[in-house]
Amino acid sequence: MPVNVALGQVSNGFLIAALVIYSLSVVAFAGDFAFGRPRRADSAVRVEQSRERATALATVASAAAAGTASNGSGDGPGDGAGPGAGPGQGAAAAAANSMPEVAPPPLRAIRQAGRWVETGIALSVVAVVAHTAAVVTRGLAVHRAPWGNMYEFVTALTCVAAIFFVFVMVRYRAWALGVFVMGAVVVALGLAETLIYTAAGQLVPALQSYWLSIHVTAMTLATGIFFVAAVLGVVYLVADRYNRRVAAGKAEAGNGIVRRLPSMEQIDRLTYRTVVFGFPIWTFGVIAGAIWADQAWGSYWSWDPVEVWAFITWVLYAAFLHARATAGFRGRRAHYIQLLGFASLMFNIMVVQVFITGLHSYAGVS
Amino acid sequence: MTDVRAPESGPSGPPPAERDERGRGGPGRSADPAAGAFGLADWLRWAWRQLTSMRIALILLFLLALASVPGSIVPQESTNPAGVQQYFTAHPALAPWLSRLGLFNVFGAPWFAATYVLLFASLVGCVVPRTFRLVGSARTLPPRAPRHLTRLPRSARYATTLPPDQATEVAARLLAGRGFRLRRPVNGDSDGHWVSAEKGYLREVGNLLFHLALLGVLVAVALGGLFGYKTDRLLVQGTTFADTQSDLDEIYPGRLVTAADYPPFTITLNRFEASYITSGAQRGQPLSFDARISYTAQPGGPTRTDNLQVNRPLSVDGAKVYLIGHGYAPVFKVTDARGQVVYDQATPFISGSSGNFLSEGVVKVSGAQPEQLGFSGVFVPTAVEVNGVLESAFPAADNPAVSLIAYAGNLGLNNGVPQSVYQIDTAGMRQLTAQPQLLLPGQSLKLPDGQGTIAFTGYVPWVSLQITHDPGQIPALICGMAALGGLLLSFMVRRRRVFVRALAGGPAHLGGPEQGSTVQVGGLARTDASGGFDEEFASLAAELRAAHEQAAASQHEGE
Repeated sequence: MPVNVALGQVSNGFLIAALVIYSLSVVAFAGDFAFGRPRRADSAVRVEQSRERATALATVASAAAAGTASNGSGDGPGDGAGPGAGPGQGAAAAAANSMPEVAPPPLRAIRQAGRWVETGIALSVVAVVAHTAAVVTRGLAVHRAPWGNMYEFVTALTCVAAIFFVFVMVRYRAWALGVFVMGAVVVALGLAETLIYTAAGQLVPALQSYWLSIHVTAMTLATGIFFVAAVLGVVYLVADRYNRRVAAGKAEAGNGIVRRLPSMEQIDRLTYRTVVFGFPIWTFGVIAGAIWADQAWGSYWSWDPVEVWAFITWVLYAAFLHARATAGFRGRRAHYIQLLGFASLMFNIMVVQVFITGLHSYAGVS
Repeated sequence: MTDVRAPESGPSGPPPAERDERGRGGPGRSADPAAGAFGLADWLRWAWRQLTSMRIALILLFLLALASVPGSIVPQESTNPAGVQQYFTAHPALAPWLSRLGLFNVFGAPWFAATYVLLFASLVGCVVPRTFRLVGSARTLPPRAPRHLTRLPRSARYATTLPPDQATEVAARLLAGRGFRLRRPVNGDSDGHWVSAEKGYLREVGNLLFHLALLGVLVAVALGGLFGYKTDRLLVQGTTFADTQSDLDEIYPGRLVTAADYPPFTITLNRFEASYITSGAQRGQPLSFDARISYTAQPGGPTRTDNLQVNRPLSVDGAKVYLIGHGYAPVFKVTDARGQVVYDQATPFISGSSGNFLSEGVVKVSGAQPEQLGFSGVFVPTAVEVNGVLESAFPAADNPAVSLIAYAGNLGLNNGVPQSVYQIDTAGMRQLTAQPQLLLPGQSLKLPDGQGTIAFTGYVPWVSLQITHDPGQIPALICGMAALGGLLLSFMVRRRRVFVRALAGGPAHLGGPEQGSTVQVGGLARTDASGGFDEEFASLAAELRAAHEQAAASQHEGE
């Protein structure tokens, strides 16, 4: 079926619009850093802190209550009234309502975060919608899943990254990370648009398979998610370096960007969860690729260069998941491993698929 | 693994979740090699502990990744034998060394095997004891409720008018309904009224399933390597071949494959068609390949037809037949000096990776008299002349032409050295034509000195087929899916414990200490990879409180 050229141009228009709006959202997030209310941007932190306070209170109270109970156990329940009249009673009464605090619903939290954050999130959402529209219209123009060459792949994976991050940002109140992730999306999309733009076209017979949709869709999803994890990892390492410099007295503990970020533990956990989300999708993508390879090339695994690097990526992310549970590898080292995994993923896409001849030479980059 | 009795660590301690699950190799518990009377058994035990420690497993994972890298950079025998030959030509000094190190066959090299065998040994050493522990933990009850639940990572506290025994009873019923395994104080326990509840054993099951399935993948790959085979066959349109060892071009058998293992089917290529994009930026890119074949699964069996396409292999008698390439076979008719037709057949020409099927090939006429004749030539499907050089403008045969150089003399076929059918050894021959001679279909070339003629009578397409059999394929797929399932289980299920303790004595405004009790709820997740335990605990605490209020209300109604 011939390519619908007009629809392809509509897709390009959507993409340019998305790029511009993403850039504006980055400006808004940066504006929050520069002019936003000076506070730790994450309300989840406050929840955590208030929980700690409540726990501390409750501990005092329970110690008192335990004292009450053990005092009373010898002489029957009636005797408990004596100590209950003392200072312990006030604490017990306060602790009587110590239910776990649930963070405020996302929309209210966003409103509390201030104008800049509100604007940034709104712009991100609009940009994501335009970006999705660009991917969908491209797919309609070429009558197939729109990730058949490198340009389409980068467009789609940044779309996945943006959608995923908008969700994470709202769900985990991580807008302080918006400037970094959305900034990276702008850079990746801009590079794709200027360096490897490929007009809408058709596919060679080897790619005309529904396993293409399954395999490449999974790979696109996983890459988009790992993209977010990689940006979070870089933020973690930069903040970690700053914190260590402060601890060593080499830098001033100023009012800089790092202080506005979520806590190191939160960034770490968010990164871990992102990789945990992406890793099974990557695994599935490799399996789907093996099934497709079996149909197209006659062998489910032939150590083609792209397969080798997909394997290396898988091994490195598996190492990251194990590193977090290994003494001596937590924190900084684990994040280095994670970034190494993403570097091997990027190397696969940008170097192996383009410059090393193998079965996967479909990039369409010349 | 240390049992999680987190209360001792207190709320300020590190979260007990996601701790080192391979505690056995830790420095604290490994034997000290410097200590006296350290025998061989101790060394072995020490080495085994090291091997099965997470730290060594991590390093082995790294080594595995690192060891794979040359496999993508240096051409590999298995995927790119031509590239290996080119490498030997381009780097004559370096290549033998790389070959000695096994770098042209990384994934079959002993050092690569050593890496993954060690890794899998480490994995077994970790997984087997954990399986026993899992079975053990399925038999034993959750731990007793700690005394101070408010010191757990998550806790709640509220008052109820129910007495402690009824309060714990209500809580136990609710938790059991949520699928928790329960432990209640037995008669004689004097530490009050409590319920311990644990859930999420499937997480560990998933984790073990994942690692065992990886072992299974390794076994399946080995199965394919031992009992599988891969063969190639070039088939010219209109001809037939049988899947026997003598009739195949290239055979890559597994270690335990014998000639009897090849299923005796035959395949005839009736017609092959390729279509290409004819205009625009993608001009010349293929759109579809279509090979119409007829085949018999058994000698003497019924003949069936099939439409072989890329991404659509044919399954026949346990083997799979793939369409992996195609090309052109010009048909030549050679008449020798005596006027006898000594050659009349389609001759497959091979195209390079680019150049719109500009294909090269040779014609060897060993029966020509008085001298043997040989021709080396180029076939172009769509001939154009660019600066005096013959090139192909399009992959389809729109304007086919051949260009030939003729030789006469001795082809050297009988000197014992095997020759490629795509190359001609001109050492014992003299060139008859000074320049390559261009022929269009139907044209012929008269050789000088009355040596005869060669006519280019037409062309037919050929396809290259790959026939594979891999008994490890289905097991590998099953293990792969099992690994994925295990991964999802271990990431999505969290192992968590919830404790409820009811202390006699409620606050004064709820009827005073004589009746009623204070309920403490504590919870901790041992593993919470995807998060969400906070929310689960909050809603569980709210449900417990609501259940207690409801039970208290119905009790009041009953009074």
